Parts: sequence; C-alpha cells; structure tokens
Amino acid sequence: MELQLGLSLPSTPIFPFKMLDLNSYGYELREGLGPFGINVNNNCGSCSSSCSSSSSGGADDGGGGTKKRRLLDEENRIVPKTLPLLFWTNQRPNDEDEPKDVDDHSSSAIFKNDGEGLVGWPPVKAWRKKVRRRVANVRAAVENSCGGRASSSTYVKVKMEGNAIARKIDISLHHSFESLTTTLMRMFDISDENGQKSFKLTYLDREGDWLLAEDVPWRTFIRSLKYIKLIRSRC
Amino acid sequence: MHKKMAFSFPDEVLEHVFSFIQSDKDRNAVSMVCKSWYEIERWCRRKVFVGNCYAVSPRMVIRRFPEFRSIELKGKPHFADFNLVPDGWGGYVFPWIAEMAGAYPWLEEIRLKRMVVTDESLELIAKSFKNFKVLVLSSCEGFSTDGLAAIAASCKNLKELDLRDCEVDDLSAHWLSHFPETYTSLVSLNISCLGSDEASFSALERLVRRCTNLKTLRLNRAVPLDKIANILRHAPQLVEFGTGTYTADVRPDVYSDLAGVFSSCKELKSLSGFWDVIPDYLPAIYPVCSKLTSLNLSYATIQSPDLIKLVSHCPNLQRLLVLDYIEDSGLEVLASSCKDLQELRVFPSDPFGAEPNVSLTEQGLVAVSLGCPKLQSVLYFCRRMSNEALVTIARSRPNFTRFRLCIIEPKTADYLTLEPLDVGFGAIVQYCKDLRRLSLSGLLTDRVFEYIGTYAKKLEMLSVAFAGDSDLGLHHVLSGCESLRKLEIRDCPFGDKALLANAAKLETMRSLWMSSCAVSFAACKLLGQKMPRLNVEVIDERGPPDSRPENCPVDKLYIYRSIAGPRFDMPPFVWTMDEDSGLRLS
Repeated sequence: MELQLGLSLPSTPIFPFKMLDLNSYGYELREGLGPFGINVNNNCGSCSSSCSSSSSGGADDGGGGTKKRRLLDEENRIVPKTLPLLFWTNQRPNDEDEPKDVDDHSSSAIFKNDGEGLVGWPPVKAWRKKVRRRVANVRAAVENSCGGRASSSTYVKVKMEGNAIARKIDISLHHSFESLTTTLMRMFDISDENGQKSFKLTYLDREGDWLLAEDVPWRTFIRSLKYIKLIRSRC
Repeated sequence: MHKKMAFSFPDEVLEHVFSFIQSDKDRNAVSMVCKSWYEIERWCRRKVFVGNCYAVSPRMVIRRFPEFRSIELKGKPHFADFNLVPDGWGGYVFPWIAEMAGAYPWLEEIRLKRMVVTDESLELIAKSFKNFKVLVLSSCEGFSTDGLAAIAASCKNLKELDLRDCEVDDLSAHWLSHFPETYTSLVSLNISCLGSDEASFSALERLVRRCTNLKTLRLNRAVPLDKIANILRHAPQLVEFGTGTYTADVRPDVYSDLAGVFSSCKELKSLSGFWDVIPDYLPAIYPVCSKLTSLNLSYATIQSPDLIKLVSHCPNLQRLLVLDYIEDSGLEVLASSCKDLQELRVFPSDPFGAEPNVSLTEQGLVAVSLGCPKLQSVLYFCRRMSNEALVTIARSRPNFTRFRLCIIEPKTADYLTLEPLDVGFGAIVQYCKDLRRLSLSGLLTDRVFEYIGTYAKKLEMLSVAFAGDSDLGLHHVLSGCESLRKLEIRDCPFGDKALLANAAKLETMRSLWMSSCAVSFAACKLLGQKMPRLNVEVIDERGPPDSRPENCPVDKLYIYRSIAGPRFDMPPFVWTMDEDSGLRLS
C-alpha cells in the first residue's frame, strides 16, 4: 500500500512516497520530487494537444495501472480515481479524538451559533425574504425612539386627519403608491371613490419636512419616510 | 493498402448528423471520437454552455467554437443565493461580452446565471449583436433599468427578455417605452423581479397589444390587479402569465372583468405572481385551472383552506410552488387531486421564527410521495422529520431525481427516536437510483455519507450543512460518488485529510465549496501548489490567511477546475493558491 504522488500526467512515472506529515508539506514534497517531479509549469492552458506534447518523463507508463488514454478534450480527461496528496489509511481518522456527542451543539468554534441566527440559514433566497410577510413578527413592530423606520423595523405609523387613533403599516409589503393607498383606504375604511379622492397622502421625511407623497418617486419616499399622514384634500 | 475508414463521410454529412445532437454532453462525446470529428463538431456547435465562467477564458471558447449563436454562462457558486459569498467576489460578464462583441456579430442568445451584469455590458450587447434574440438573466445583479432601456431600444429582433430573481436598480419604469412602436417580436417577457414604482402601464399595455406572438408574460408586483384585465384582454394567446399584486378592494366589476379575461385565455398553462393575494379574487382564475400545469403560489400568503380550494381545481398540475401555509392537510388534498404532479416546492412562511407557525410536518411530504406517482423533484422546508417517514418516502417514490429537504433547525434529530437521520437519507439514496441532486439537513453522522458514497452513483450535486463527525464523511463522498460535479458544504467538521487524499477527484468536478469547515490554510496552499488545473480560492474577510498560523482553518474555500489559470479580477478578500503560494501570498 504505497503512497502515490502522481499529480502530473499519467505518462509520468509515479513512484512510492512516504507518508506526509501534515505539518511539513513543503519540505517533504520537494525532497521527493527529483527528476520525475511534477512539472508545475505545465499549465495546460490553451489547447489539449500542447499538454500531451510537453509532458515530461519518458514513454514509460509504469504508472501502476493508473495510466489512462489521453483524450482530446481536456475537460473530459479521465484521471485516476484517487491521486492522493495524502494516503487514506482507511482507519477511522482522529481515533484519538472522542466521538462527537450528539447532544453537543457547540463542540466546535467553527459553528457560528451566536444566537442571532446563522448567515444564510435556513437557505431561503434573499429576495424571497424581502417579499414575505412576517407572520408572527411582533418584534419587527417595536417602535424605536425616533418613531420612524430604523434599519430593522419596517413598520411605519400612519395617521388620518380627523382620526385620533394612529395605525401601523408594514411598508416593506408595498412597492408602489397604488398598493400603499389601497391598503390605507382599507385600513381606515374609506371604501368609496369620493372618499379616496378627498384624501392626500403626505409624509414626514428624515429632515423633518412634511411632503406630498405624489411629488416624489417611490424610491425616495421609501428611503426618507418616517411617518405617514392622510390629510383631507382642500381642492 | 490505405483503408478508408468507415466514418470518413464528407464533412457536410457529418455536420448534418451532428445537427441533431443538441445536448452538450453528447456534443462533447462526439468531439472526442477522433480529430476530424472534433474539428467538424467545433465548427458546427451553435450552443455553448460554460458551467463556470472562470473554468475557461472567453478567448479559448471563441477559438474553439468559431460559430456559436448561443451562450450560457454561470458565475457565482450556488451558496451565493444565501449570502455566503461576499459582494464583489466576481462573476463579471463584461469581459465575455467584450470578446464576443468583436468576434461574433451574429450572436443571438445570452443566458447568464449568478453573474454581475453592468449597464455597460447591456449597452454593449445592444450595440454589437444585430440579430440578438434572447436575453435570460437569472439571479444576476449589477444593472439598472437604463441597461434594459438600451436593450429595448436597439434589439429589433428581441424575442425573449427574462429577468428571473435579479437585483435591478430601478431608476425608472419608463425603460419599457424604449421599445419602438414598430417592435413586435416579443415572445417572452419576465419582469417579475423589478421593484418599479409607477410602472409605465400604458407602455406595457401598448407593448402587449402589438406583440401578438407573446406567449410568456410575468409582471412585477407594482402592476395592480385592476390593470391585469386590460393587459390580458390584449393577450388571450398567453401560455404563461404572472400577475402583479393580487389584491384590491373587493369590487364586483373588477372581479367579473378579471374572471372574464381569464376565461378568454384558452392557452394558459402556467400562473405565477399572486403577491398580497386576497382569497376573494382567487376564484377569478378558476376558468383556467383545469388546464394549468404549473402554479407558483410561493408569494401567496393565503391560508390552507383557500389553497386547498384552489389546488382541487387543478387536476393537471405538474409543478407547484407554495408556502407552508398549505399545511399537511393541503398536501393530502394535493396528493389525491394532482396525480400528474412532478415537482413540488414548499417554502417556509416564517423561516426565522422559533416556533412552528403552521401545521406542516413530514406527513405532508409522505402524503405527496405516496399519492403522486410521477413526483420526481422536491424542495421541502419543515421543522421535523423521522427516519420512518424518509424510508416510506424513498420506498414509495424511487423515481426521485431531485430531493432537497431542509429541516429548519440545524442538527434536528428524528423526532420519534431522537436518532440521527442517517438511515432515512440512506434509504433515499439507496432506493432512488436516478437521484441527481440531494440536499441534506437534520442530525447526521458520518454514516449518512457512507450510504451516499455507496449508493448515490448518479448523484451530481450534493448540499451539506451542519452534518458529519469527521473527515471520513467527506472521504466517503469524494471517493464514492462517481458522477459528482458540484459539492457545497457549510459548517461541517471536514478538514484537510479527506480533501488532500481525494485531490484528483476535484479535477473531475466542476466545483467544491466549503465554508466554516476545518480546512487549514496549509492544505489550501498545498492543493493550489500541486494541482495546477484547480483554482483554489480562499475567501476570508478577516484578512490575509497568512496573518494567522498555517494550521488555522480558512473561512471559505472555493475550488474549481479551470484551464484558464487563476483569475485576476479578485477582490481583496479572495486569494488564489497557486504554485507560488508556498513562497508568497498571491
């Protein structure tokens, strides 16, 4: 059971090698390369035929049965099943280690279970996260001190002129003034067309100005929105 | 004594024969028969597929295939979909467009997946290819509606513009008006990913009206419900339709209008969209349900009873995408109503919630597996699983080709026995002999990988997370899975040994991704040094890997075979291990 370091083309002779110590790769490999060493400059770049012609070593294909016929298409080259940089001993590796305890969730420092959730888990695509309504998400509705949208909260306070009770709306569910207005009308029970026409959508922006929503593009509106107010149209 | 070989037909004959061979695999096989077949094949290959844009350079492709009309390129690794690949990693399409612009004025089709596409690239496409017909951008980013406007304005023969799941900078919805009034060749338009405020409805309506060959139209969320009727009225020939927002005040006139236009769409086979759907308007689509083969309700936040009603109207459904609101009860109805079902995807409505918010368990998946004889592709998010269920599923549905199960909480054991789910997934790979794609989850030891290495001989893509005990697990997969092309691993205790012992295997695969595992920087350097046909990329936002001890694990590792050598467009947090990396850091 010899260690084989045949990383070059199959026609290059492969020879036995001693077991590598994980901690001293560079030295041991260089030692063993010799004249039959791996031609690391043999970067098979442009064309498969140039690879075969520039392979070093003789016609000797004493490769221990691992030589395969050179094929034209570089991408479909058949390589021997295992050309190890390290010989697999078939023993259970890390025998000296304790088998992992099934209950031990934090056995390794590599697990990023920092309580805040793992990056990219569950594997739901980013854009899907944006459009989904968060069902039981009371947490997202926490009002922060400035009363408007902070980075984590997408809920915005909405008031209607003449109505004492303020409501809250999840602005991330809307992508147009049309859908926002429709929802607002429903929220405040303004069902008829006349009712809809008599209200104007205004908002308080980050700079503290009250602006007419219809004057700005949706993008601008979203970015600087802090409060929404429906006011009665005077015209 | 010069024997003429049996296959030395005139080139034209061979070319004609080859023209019937469309698949890349077959084309590649044909090209390897002999030198003359290689030559003939390369001159007549019309569609080129490059699974990893860094595996080969544009110039190499152009040199080998001088007359292709269609190219498909893929960029970032799959885990980029889940934010595991930092922004700026790469996957830029511009160099490809620039090379092709010069060499191929007659290029007709470009299909890109997970690539960075700039407005500059789009403008170059618009300017360079006079007969440009098809642009499909799947999960791409980096461009704005300005780039789309350039395409719309210049590509007179454009047939297909498909933006799937792209991140587009929505500067103005008026890009649609850039399609000239004389332009009528549109067959397929998918703008579902566009944010777009004030979508230019009138331009859209006019476009739909004059493009009488339009077969696929997927609108974005900004298109309100009452506008859909106007659009559909002019396109009763549509085969695939995606609505915009599917909510409005409940008004009988809007409803009957909508139901009316849907009834006139006799060819409709696929529906999607349904953002913000309210149940009241759903029956409007009942007239088309009996012909539907594909239904995407993955944005439809309606509850099980309404979903059940809808699904029961669709006996010919082959493909269903739905949120877990459908619950086990809904899946049972699906299993009894939709005997033609081939693909099912159930997405989580509340993936980050600690507690289950719906009654969807392994039972739903069991029901569908038992009831739908043609089911072959599944993506299922749930919160509990058992080996018993998985064995039942495997036994009843050996025709699975794609099985992706995501148990939301990592390392969740069999809820009945508290054991790992090794046996369950083992059954899946054992019974489903044609399995090509598998995603694992739940509590798993090295044993599941032994099963996979032993049985999953046709497996091409494997996704692993929070699984395994040791390098033995990875070794089983790399040494056993003969057809493996793509392997992506996160948060598993796999280290150097298995990787190095199976180094040559990596050249037979497209790529390997390992993040938050235990592969040391030393091993990466060695691999890069000794395997010149592999690009070994270390991705680490903490800083240069040589600022830490060599035996420190790297954060992310992406290894892919390449004949183009190391790339030069890497951001500061990516290092390629090449032959000199033993001496210096690249």
